[in-house]
Amino acid sequence: MGREMRTGWGLVEEWLTSMKLGLILLGIIAVTAGMGTFIPQVDQSPQEAAKVGQLWQTLGLTQIYSTFWFRFLLGLLCLNLVACSVRRFNGIYGRVFRPRPPRTAGDLPAKIRTEIKGDYQILQDSVQRTLAHHGFRLTGRETETGWSFLGLRRRWGYWGSFLTHMAFVILVLGAFLSSLLGAKGYFMVGAGSTLSIQSIMTEGRIDQNFNVRVNAAEKKYLPNGQLDNWFTDLSLLSPGGHVLVRKIISVNHPLTYRGITFYQSDFTSGVHLTADVRGKEQKVLLSEQNGYNYYYAPGTDLYFVVAQIAGNEQQPEMMYLVYNNNLRVVQQGTLSKGQTANIQGEYKVTLDGYAPFTGIQVKKDPGVGVVWLGSALLLVGLFLSFYWRPARVAGVLSHAEETKEGILALGMTAGKGSESFLSEIRKSSEDV
Amino acid sequence: MSQILKGFEGPLFYLLLAAYVVATLLYWGGALGKKNGLSRAATWVAVAGLVINTVTIVVRMLIAHRPPLANGYEFILTFCWGIVAVYLFAEFRYRLRALGSFVLPVPALLLLFVEIAISPAERSSTVIMPALKSQWLTIHVATAMLAYGAFAVSFGLGVMYLLKERKMRAAARIGGPVPGDSGADERRAASPAESSMTGGLPDGSGLAAGVVEVNSGILARFPALEVLDELAYKVVAFGFPLLTLCIITGAVWANYTWGTYWSWDPKETWSLITWLVYAGYLHVRFTRGWKGRPAAWLAVLGFAAVLFTFFGVNYFLPGLHSYANPSG
Repeated sequence: MGREMRTGWGLVEEWLTSMKLGLILLGIIAVTAGMGTFIPQVDQSPQEAAKVGQLWQTLGLTQIYSTFWFRFLLGLLCLNLVACSVRRFNGIYGRVFRPRPPRTAGDLPAKIRTEIKGDYQILQDSVQRTLAHHGFRLTGRETETGWSFLGLRRRWGYWGSFLTHMAFVILVLGAFLSSLLGAKGYFMVGAGSTLSIQSIMTEGRIDQNFNVRVNAAEKKYLPNGQLDNWFTDLSLLSPGGHVLVRKIISVNHPLTYRGITFYQSDFTSGVHLTADVRGKEQKVLLSEQNGYNYYYAPGTDLYFVVAQIAGNEQQPEMMYLVYNNNLRVVQQGTLSKGQTANIQGEYKVTLDGYAPFTGIQVKKDPGVGVVWLGSALLLVGLFLSFYWRPARVAGVLSHAEETKEGILALGMTAGKGSESFLSEIRKSSEDV
Repeated sequence: MSQILKGFEGPLFYLLLAAYVVATLLYWGGALGKKNGLSRAATWVAVAGLVINTVTIVVRMLIAHRPPLANGYEFILTFCWGIVAVYLFAEFRYRLRALGSFVLPVPALLLLFVEIAISPAERSSTVIMPALKSQWLTIHVATAMLAYGAFAVSFGLGVMYLLKERKMRAAARIGGPVPGDSGADERRAASPAESSMTGGLPDGSGLAAGVVEVNSGILARFPALEVLDELAYKVVAFGFPLLTLCIITGAVWANYTWGTYWSWDPKETWSLITWLVYAGYLHVRFTRGWKGRPAAWLAVLGFAAVLFTFFGVNYFLPGLHSYANPSG
């Protein structure tokens, strides 16, 4: 018999619901994701990525995970999973809530099959008793030749595959929400600094408007000298200066305020300096980290850069470099606490003391709850699929012609205790 | 106390290495020489190795006052523990000693790698970064340990399957049924759990019916193909949810620590690829009935992905998991 030809929507439906499409997509996504680990990615190593060249950037190979085509593949996979799940839904629903006993012996599960002969009534009784004893949910019906039944145990296991597939879709949906509605930012400052939340966020947008103040930052050690954690005393202030919330955060102990979470991310050494520019003093906080390690004195063409901070918190020392506008080093030297350096006769810099710098990651992620929901469903689905597999026993009991004898054709899925189950039915019918 | 325990660490490591190497040699000797005594001895040496492995891990925990999951050496110790624990469970549960010849070399080689590539100083208890001070890490690595252990066992079963199937195909090409077919004997001798297992093999292979079997050499001691196939599936089905849990707990931990549950870090990406390979294995088995040789190859490929996730990423691909570099 030839295969039915499909056209139009039927063809699309067949393609969308095909297992082959799902497997091809899984393979492509796996290969693509792997490629992304070999090709330098922009947000991981800009220097390396720059070497790859314009062509790679044009193809999106330096930002694979955020390219349109990679997201399209994920979207297509979700569509495939949804289509497959929808197609299977009725079958699973029927198996769980409307189980149908077999019509003929040909409909019995093929994994384990056997046949028992005996008194019709006794066989029927022993089947019912044994199934009930083993916790099977029994559905029976009269047939033209006698009686047939279906026993189910752990029937919720049928939902495992469905839940697993839908969970994957929910996970991708959560990730999509994160990228669409999420916002993030990062700041590294010394104790005493205050920043507005709007100035911190560099990706996405948030509606709230408040200020973030770092009251104190500290690196704590254990009695054995090992690093315990980094701590930051953080206050969130209303535009009017009112304290909205205050908390000491550390790594693995973030602060969440109205959907925005502050994570302790980095910690580095810094210094308090005083810059005296033509008699006008200015307090300066600098750290070793790029972006936070230079001071530009107004009215000059000189950049004072922290090269290294040494010593300890009580007696800090620093090495500095001074660049001009042409990025040439015009001066270098070291400073101890209390010492002053004359910078090209333009201004003076005094090292006042040590200043810890704390790095805080700020994030708003409305998709994360959806991701956790998907993760939980995925685990439930896998648990049902692999650790809660349904057991199915079906049978057709037929009258032998013009006698009280019956022939019981039994079929069951393999599982723990299959053998003992069969022998119990045999023994039960023999005992009676 | 801590200093005394530190003194035990070195000898314990070498004792552990010796146990796994000797167990491997005994398994090989037992299989090649058809000596049941050697195979039995191999099992008990492997059990002793697992005990020493446990003691080594506990000693490290007592010294460091934390779970032993902070550097490459500690990860390898727990990885070996997972492999041998899952393997011994499979051996006792299914009476499969021949499997030891293919699984025990994995922890033995891992420990030899430690001896060659990681200096004793790098193996010592180190300061852990604040990000690692999380209970999520313990669950994350514990689930990885068991999942990877299960995948190592499925790898061994896959290799056994492929070797036996290849030999049987060769025998079938030469002249059909081999005199003294031991396949039926194997099935009769199999444990009750094994004998109840059935499973289709590729259509038309002729092997499914047990027409051709091998009756000599190490392969004669392997269980029937369908038993190897079914067991590999069971082990993967055990490990796959654990790998999923491992990835999810890693995501929860990363979210608590860095505010990002998924950052396409190479370790994350390769664990996803490993997950996809095993998802493919289970999927094609459920829906397409892929069994036998393709399934065995997928089990081998999956474990290659596991090893790359574990080692390759640490060596070749820098990322957030850089602290997991075997050298510390």
